[in-house]
Amino acid sequence: MDENRDPGRATNLTPWGQQVSNTGGDEPVAGRGDPPAMGSDQPSHVSDGLVSGARDRAVMEPIVVPNTAWVPADPAAYGGGQPPHVAHLRELEFADKSDNGRWGALDAIPTKADYVLDLIRLNSLWPLLSGLACCALEMMSAATSRNDMDRFGMFPFRASPRQADVLIVAGTLTTKMAGPLIRLWEQMPEPKWCVAMGDCTTSGGRYKRSYATVEGIDRIMPVDVYVPGCPPRPEGLIYGMMKLQQLIKDRRGHWPERAVGPTVPTGI
Amino acid sequence: MLRIVLKIDGERIVDLDPVLGYLHRGVEKICENGDWHHAISNCDPLEYAASMFSEAMPVLAAEKLLDLEVPRRAEYIRVLAWELNRVASHALFIGWLALDLGGLTPILYGFIERDEIVEMLAALTGQRVLFNYLRIGGVNGDLNHDFMSRLGDWMGHALHRIEDQQRLLNANEIFVRRTKGLGIVDRDIARRTCLSGPVLRATGVPYDVRRAHPYSVYPELDFEIPTREEGDSYARYLLHLDEIKQSIRIIDQVLHQMPDGPVMAKIPRLLRIPPGRAYISVESPRGQYSCYAMSDGSDQPFRLRIHDPSFFNLQAVGLVMPGNLIADTMAVMASLDPIMGGVDK
Repeated sequence: MDENRDPGRATNLTPWGQQVSNTGGDEPVAGRGDPPAMGSDQPSHVSDGLVSGARDRAVMEPIVVPNTAWVPADPAAYGGGQPPHVAHLRELEFADKSDNGRWGALDAIPTKADYVLDLIRLNSLWPLLSGLACCALEMMSAATSRNDMDRFGMFPFRASPRQADVLIVAGTLTTKMAGPLIRLWEQMPEPKWCVAMGDCTTSGGRYKRSYATVEGIDRIMPVDVYVPGCPPRPEGLIYGMMKLQQLIKDRRGHWPERAVGPTVPTGI
Repeated sequence: MLRIVLKIDGERIVDLDPVLGYLHRGVEKICENGDWHHAISNCDPLEYAASMFSEAMPVLAAEKLLDLEVPRRAEYIRVLAWELNRVASHALFIGWLALDLGGLTPILYGFIERDEIVEMLAALTGQRVLFNYLRIGGVNGDLNHDFMSRLGDWMGHALHRIEDQQRLLNANEIFVRRTKGLGIVDRDIARRTCLSGPVLRATGVPYDVRRAHPYSVYPELDFEIPTREEGDSYARYLLHLDEIKQSIRIIDQVLHQMPDGPVMAKIPRLLRIPPGRAYISVESPRGQYSCYAMSDGSDQPFRLRIHDPSFFNLQAVGLVMPGNLIADTMAVMASLDPIMGGVDK
């Protein structure tokens, strides 16, 4: 689809957690985050040196369906994607046509309004209702009467990723759940943040030696705040979310630096 | 995390296929790599809504293989902790059932109840969810003042809270119409799919491991096995309320009969379990929680096979759901009360 959407990032990630280097456009790409072709373990340009034989390479060639439904106005700029309907916003976009800015076109006009927007955002963080394991109990406990998370502006747990701002990964992430979780993360609209709750999600925890788990979710997706504990108390989660609010307030403009791996700045 | 693939005809469910494995953490294999003491904490997160029961598995199995006599005070403390945990889990069940039907208030009451109990158990064990409290030969620590004062506070209004729950839901028209007559599990289905616990007792079978295969000090305690005949979601809900009352009755007796003495038997520091096989089972909030353990004489379990009732109760959903509406799937699922940590292990 839009292969030059994110040129600042050196590597992309498939939903299976494999790191795929960006292709320069000299070979056809089915799309960002598309699954590899059935029967192959790795994309073709990675496995060139590993797998020999023309038959294997033939199987792994991606299928490209030519676009006959519509004609993009500027195919080079959007990688074949749909141009925006509002023309004047297009002019405000960055010269490299990338989508690195947190607020898209608004970043071109740095005003106090952005600061106000940040305040609004951090005081109405909507977490995604996605409990994976034991930590989900403590996450629910943090949201209900006794430790009322609503007091701090983390108001409703949304059941749809399209309405959520924060992904609280609560519980052990298994290899089978990793794909669906990344899909949830990618379905959330920017700006979005991720909180790793519990030892399993920060480092693997007590299941580090298991054959079926991901040793820390920062291997497959960016994380803003880590909340240790097995499971952390609800107060711990609320503390982590308040740190996230502080982070949202402080870290404006650093969005393109976010990459796979620990991204928490010093002092937080 | 459970995925259910529905085959539908309009709004009616024709067939249903649960897809498991999203929380498979390989607990049984990890247990084989650590020693028996590690297995206690490794079994903890299996049934995370009531982990006092799943952590009892390696403990009871090792005690049976060792032929070890546990001090009576430790047995009473175990029963106290188990029954408190059962009340916490049942309170969550009622809340979740109403939440899945769209009612937000009961989960708030359920979590008040549950948080009070887990804070109480945290005063005793140091942890809120994964207690890691039972030990081979006893329990980790004696009752302390903080725990007892919290328990006294809670006992004062525990029954009152249950009556609150009853007033909130028992005659609620929407709740009754969405649970009564839905998800009917009859005795035939129960026999075919190895059901146990409240799901089985709601079909009229008075099977409870505490009475059928007594363990610990349950033979000395006076309590009833409540049953219901209807087998639908509403009967399961009412049964949970009755069981909470019976648990409070047991806690009351345990507190009155609590003997003095040590809370740990004398066991060697490097514990080698004699070779052999042992099968033990306890009555968890979701049914018969059992374990088949094999020891080869070393300090590590050779095999620890956990039988989790959630997995077997989940089988019933494929048999009771066809013919019902899509919207009732969540309600019936919640009333069968599977904990996915135990289903996928």
